[in-house]
Amino acid sequence: MKKRYLLLFVCSYILLFSASIFTYNIKLSHPTASDSGQLLPVAVKSIYPAKGEQELKMIIKKANINEDTLSIAGMQHSQGGHTMYPNGILIDMKSFNKILKFDLQKKLITVQSGATWEDIQEYINPYGLSLKVGQSQNIFTVGGSISVIGHGRDIRNGSLTDTVISLRLLTPEGEVIEVSRTENEELFPYVIGGYGLFGVIVDVTLQLTEDELYVHNNEQLNYQEYATYFKNEVLGNESVKMHVGRISVAPETFLSEMYITNYTLAPNQADLDQYNTLKGEPIIAIPKFFLGLARYSEWGKNIFWDIQKQYNEKTDQKLESRNNVMRSDSEFMEYNSVSKTEILQEYFVPIDNFEPYIDSLKRLLEDEKDFNLLNITIRYVGKDDQVVMNYATDDMFSLVLLINQGTTKKDIEETGQIVRKMIDLTLAHDGTYYLPYYPYATKEQLYAAYPQVEDFFLKKKIFDSNERFSNMFYKEYSQ
Amino acid sequence: MTFRTFLYYQSTIVMASSMIFPFYILLLKNVGNNYAQFGWAYGIFALTAAFCYPMIGKLSDKIGDRILFLIYSWSMAVLLLLFPLVSTVWQIYGLQICMGILSAVQKNTEKTALARQVKKETAGGEIGKYHIRISVAAAIAIILTGYIVDFLTIASIFYIGSLIYMVSSVMLMTKRGGKVKDVTNN
Repeated sequence: MKKRYLLLFVCSYILLFSASIFTYNIKLSHPTASDSGQLLPVAVKSIYPAKGEQELKMIIKKANINEDTLSIAGMQHSQGGHTMYPNGILIDMKSFNKILKFDLQKKLITVQSGATWEDIQEYINPYGLSLKVGQSQNIFTVGGSISVIGHGRDIRNGSLTDTVISLRLLTPEGEVIEVSRTENEELFPYVIGGYGLFGVIVDVTLQLTEDELYVHNNEQLNYQEYATYFKNEVLGNESVKMHVGRISVAPETFLSEMYITNYTLAPNQADLDQYNTLKGEPIIAIPKFFLGLARYSEWGKNIFWDIQKQYNEKTDQKLESRNNVMRSDSEFMEYNSVSKTEILQEYFVPIDNFEPYIDSLKRLLEDEKDFNLLNITIRYVGKDDQVVMNYATDDMFSLVLLINQGTTKKDIEETGQIVRKMIDLTLAHDGTYYLPYYPYATKEQLYAAYPQVEDFFLKKKIFDSNERFSNMFYKEYSQ
Repeated sequence: MTFRTFLYYQSTIVMASSMIFPFYILLLKNVGNNYAQFGWAYGIFALTAAFCYPMIGKLSDKIGDRILFLIYSWSMAVLLLLFPLVSTVWQIYGLQICMGILSAVQKNTEKTALARQVKKETAGGEIGKYHIRISVAAAIAIILTGYIVDFLTIASIFYIGSLIYMVSSVMLMTKRGGKVKDVTNN
C-alpha cells in the first residue's frame, strides 16, 4: 500500500516536473525586444509588431506624418544597436513570417522577411531541399541576415547575396518596390548589407539547393599548418562541401591548437533518408556547465578545450544531413547574468595572412590577462564584391570571438581598448571586421575596413532624405 | 521516524531551502518593479506564516510530525516547479502566501520534533549539536548554489531544489519507526 502511494507520488511529480520544464522552455523561446548584447539599452517610443503588408505601410505613413524615426528588428542578435533608435518606433518583424511561394522544380522559395531560417528548413526539408547559404545557427530572421550579410559553413555556394534572387522593399515613402539584379538594380548592393537603413525588406525570394548527406571528417592540427591544409585539403577537395574550425583559447594551448570539421559528401547518398529528420536542441546542461567553468577560470578553459577536442574526435565519421549541419545548437550559449554579458567580435583575414595574424594576435592577447575570451570559431568566406558594405574583400577566414565582459562603463571602456587594438591588428593584415556587433570600432577603423562606407551613407541620405529609417549604428558613425 | 532520519531529513531540506532563499531575491528583482513590491512580497510571506502557526501547532499534536514533514516536502517540491514560470508580481504574491504557510509548517514541526526528542536536562547541548549540522548543510548549499546560478540559470536552482525536496519526501516515506514517533502512535 505504502509503496503504491510512493509510486503514485513520484510519478505525479515526474509529470509535473516535465510540464514545468516544457512550459519554461516555451517561455524562453519568446525573446523580448532587447538587443542580445545588452550593452545598449535604449528607450524607444513604442514597439509595433509587423502584422501584414498594409499595416507596415500604415506604420510608415504615420511615421512620415508624425516625423517619427523607425528602426527594424528581427531576432535582435545584432549587438550594435542596429535595431533600435532612441525614442524611435521599433518595428518588430518576428510575427511577419509566412512562407509565400515555393517552386520545387526551380528550387525557389519566397518568404516574408520575419521568417527564420528554421521556418524555411522545416518547410523545405520534406521536399529534400536545403538552403544554399545559411548561418551556423538557424535562429535568425531572413530579413536580418540579409541586412547584415550573414555567412556560414558552406564553402561552395558563394555568399548569402548570391542566393538572393529578388526582394521587395518598403521604401521610406511607403511604396513597395521590387529589387533584384535587373529591377531597381542600383539599390541591390545597398539593401543587401543595408543594416535596415533603406526601408523594410518585405519578402525575399531565395535560391535553394538539394539536401545532401555529409560525413564529418574531423582533424586536429596546428595553426601554422592550417592555411596550406585548407587550400589543399579543403578548397582543393571538391567533395568537401562545408567546413568549420576552432582555435584554442585555453592557456595551455592558446592560439596554437586547432580542430576542424570537414563536411564531406557521403559515398552513399541513398542513406540520406535515414538522417534527414531535423534535429532539435539536445540536452544542454553539460556543455553549458563546462562553458560556465571556462567563463570562470583558466583551468576551466583548459578542461573545456580538452572536452571539445574529445568530442570532435568522437564525432569523426558521423553522418549528418546538410539541413542538420545548418542548424547547430545555440541554447547552451545563452547566458544570464546581472552584471556581465557575452559579446561577439568577428574579424576577417586573407587566408595567406592567417599565420602571421594569429602570431600577432597571440602577442597582443597574452598581455591582456583580464580579457575573458571564451571561444574562437573559424570559417571561410569567399571573395565577394556584389554589395557596398562588403567584408569579404578576398578569400578569407572569419574568426568569431566570444567574449565575456562586464556591463559597467569601465568594463565597456576596458574591452573597447582591447577590441580597437585587435581591429587595428586585423586591418594591418589586410583584414576587415564585421559590423553587426557592439560599436567598439572608431570611425577611422570603419572607414579603413569599409572604404565604400562614405558612398553607402551618401546613398542612404539621398534615398531616405528625411532619415525615416535610422538606428544607433547609423547615428554613431554617419555624423 | 528515528532521530537519525530526522537529522538526515532536516539537513536535506535545509540544503534545499538555503539554495532557494538567498537567490530567490534575484527572481523578485527580475519580476518586480520597485522596492515596495519587494517589501510586500516578504511581508505577505511573514504574515501568512504568523497566522498559520497556532493552527499548525495544534495539528502537529494531532496528526504527528512525520505527516506534516511529508506535506511540507511534497508541497515544496511541487511549488518550486512554478517559480521559473512566474512573470507577474501577483503570481509572486500568490507563491509567497503558499511559501508562508509551508514555512510555518516546517519551522513549527522542526521545533516540536526536537522537543519530543531531546531530554530536558541536556537540551542545550543536543540542540547545539543539531544546529551545527544543519548550519553546515546550509552553508555548503548556499556556496554551491552561487556557482550553479552562474554556470546554469536562475531557473535551474528551483528545479534542483525541487528535486531535493522530492528526494527528502521519498526518504521520509521509505524510512520508518524509531524514537521520534508520531504523537498519534505514542
